[in-house]
Amino acid sequence: MIVRTLLAASLLSLAACQSMSPPPAAPAATPAAAPPPAWQQGRTADQASSPLAPHAGKMTATPASELPLAGIKLPPGFKAEVWATGMPGARAMARGEGGKIYIGTRAIGRVYEVTDSGGQRTSRVVVDKLVQPSGVAFKDGSLYVMAIDKVLRFDGIERNPGVQPVDMTAAFKLPKEQHHNWKYIAFGPDGKLYVPFGAPCNICVPGEEYAQIRRYNADGSGMEVIARGVRNTQGFTWHPVTKEMWFTDHGRDWMGDDSPEDELNRMPRTGAFYGFPYCHAGGVPDKDFKKANPCDGVTLPVQTMGPHAAVMGAHFYTGNMFPAEYSNVLFVARKGSWNRTKKFGYDVVTVRAGADGSNAKVTPFMTGLLNESNDTFSGRPTYMLQLPDGSLLITDEQLGAIYRISYAR
Amino acid sequence: MPVDWPRAAVALGLLLAAAVQAQPSAETLALCAACHGPGGNATIALIPSLAGQPKVFIENQLVLVREGLRDIPVMKAAMERMTDEQIIELARYFAAQPFTPRPVTAQPDKQRLGADLARKALCGTCHLSDYVGQQQVPRLAGQDEAYLLQAMKQFRDQPGPGRDTIMSASLYGLSDADLANLAHYLAGYRGK
Repeated sequence: MIVRTLLAASLLSLAACQSMSPPPAAPAATPAAAPPPAWQQGRTADQASSPLAPHAGKMTATPASELPLAGIKLPPGFKAEVWATGMPGARAMARGEGGKIYIGTRAIGRVYEVTDSGGQRTSRVVVDKLVQPSGVAFKDGSLYVMAIDKVLRFDGIERNPGVQPVDMTAAFKLPKEQHHNWKYIAFGPDGKLYVPFGAPCNICVPGEEYAQIRRYNADGSGMEVIARGVRNTQGFTWHPVTKEMWFTDHGRDWMGDDSPEDELNRMPRTGAFYGFPYCHAGGVPDKDFKKANPCDGVTLPVQTMGPHAAVMGAHFYTGNMFPAEYSNVLFVARKGSWNRTKKFGYDVVTVRAGADGSNAKVTPFMTGLLNESNDTFSGRPTYMLQLPDGSLLITDEQLGAIYRISYAR
Repeated sequence: MPVDWPRAAVALGLLLAAAVQAQPSAETLALCAACHGPGGNATIALIPSLAGQPKVFIENQLVLVREGLRDIPVMKAAMERMTDEQIIELARYFAAQPFTPRPVTAQPDKQRLGADLARKALCGTCHLSDYVGQQQVPRLAGQDEAYLLQAMKQFRDQPGPGRDTIMSASLYGLSDADLANLAHYLAGYRGK
């Protein structure tokens, strides 16, 4: 009987298989000049046989028992725990007024919602099938989701989980390139929505719509470009005292293991130029796009953040739980390198600096996810979110988990 | 497409016998085998072989199909209720099956052109120098020629949700003839 059912299922499936016809032929493509793929641009002939390539993502849920919690190292007094898991690709988080956490992803196309019901967290998928919906922000009861080609607003979602989104796409006029145009988004102290548009390449002259940070009114009107020459920022925040924006930026690839480093920048005024594609890191001229005095007029970083580190989220600590020496200290997640012979990053660091960016000092905070002895990694920290009790949530994009970092004397 | 019924039945029987714990159910494997062949070695044109593909690659693709990001209508019903655990089991199973290269009628001129293109396009960076794939990157060596061509055209012409933008960008500007040469070379590749 079982066999007969199986055979029947198999037959059905075979029939379906045979009736499957090839998809309609696309119109004959007109070959344009073939540019190298974005991530390989700037690669030299002697790097042609390099085995370096972006790391694989993981798209299936990871049970808590398989997370590398025991390997995580923190300064004395700090403790890590698994706060939630089972959310493949979890990246940036936004917190609703009611305490629900919303989490964006890239390849898997989902936005998650985590509900904390006192000691226990449950998650659900709010929306799926989007193209890299990594941008999430929350304001006045509404969740904003930004994908490569779509902007959605979910009004009152914390009270009404099934609310249909308002499609805001037309107002934001998103450019079409995907590469480096997955978003980190956040509302600034001025109530405007800040959105980066990365360079659609490793190295290129990016065109008018790219390599910049913009801000919009919440409804998508009033767009302004507020910074140019920004290759790929995946995280920013505002200084608790000066209210100036600080942002991370990824350096270019294929210029060697140790240079140019990633950047931590400060934006004391709008309209500044941050160097891409001519000037990188703390003043490194590009090897492919040359011009006289390439770093003239360029706003150089507050601090360089390490080669190929993949600097992600940035968060100034303003809570009461951590020791006083952490007050207004910047936390930066470094997702970790691919374009480097020895892996680098895979950690969270603190940056202590003057409010004007002076005397910046980088100190490792959360480590243990990179095993230097065999050059492997067990997690990729990407973003932080501070809870009202002063503890810090940190997402691991690789394993789709969220850790909570707390402190007790 | 003629179907070898006795062989299909034998294969089913073997699959049933082989069903042990932590393996996909025999029913699931039979469903897969209907198109992808016993042990994931397909014989139908345009159907990719799954045997010996990297585990992460199979996992990711099954998730993309389940999520509807990669639209394969014939797989929809089977995938809809599949859990991550079941997907991981399937991936582990197919990754461990011995791979039988698909037959190719070798055309030396096309092979030469394809080899030249594969070198210039740096296919071996991600797919590895003998095109066996790794992690999220599929094995190409010995895969069905018609399938390879169709997949590359989809990447080039319809880079949709969930499709790897790096792969799409790697094919921009290549003509249909270029892709046919590449597919022929990779399908016939049997190692250095």
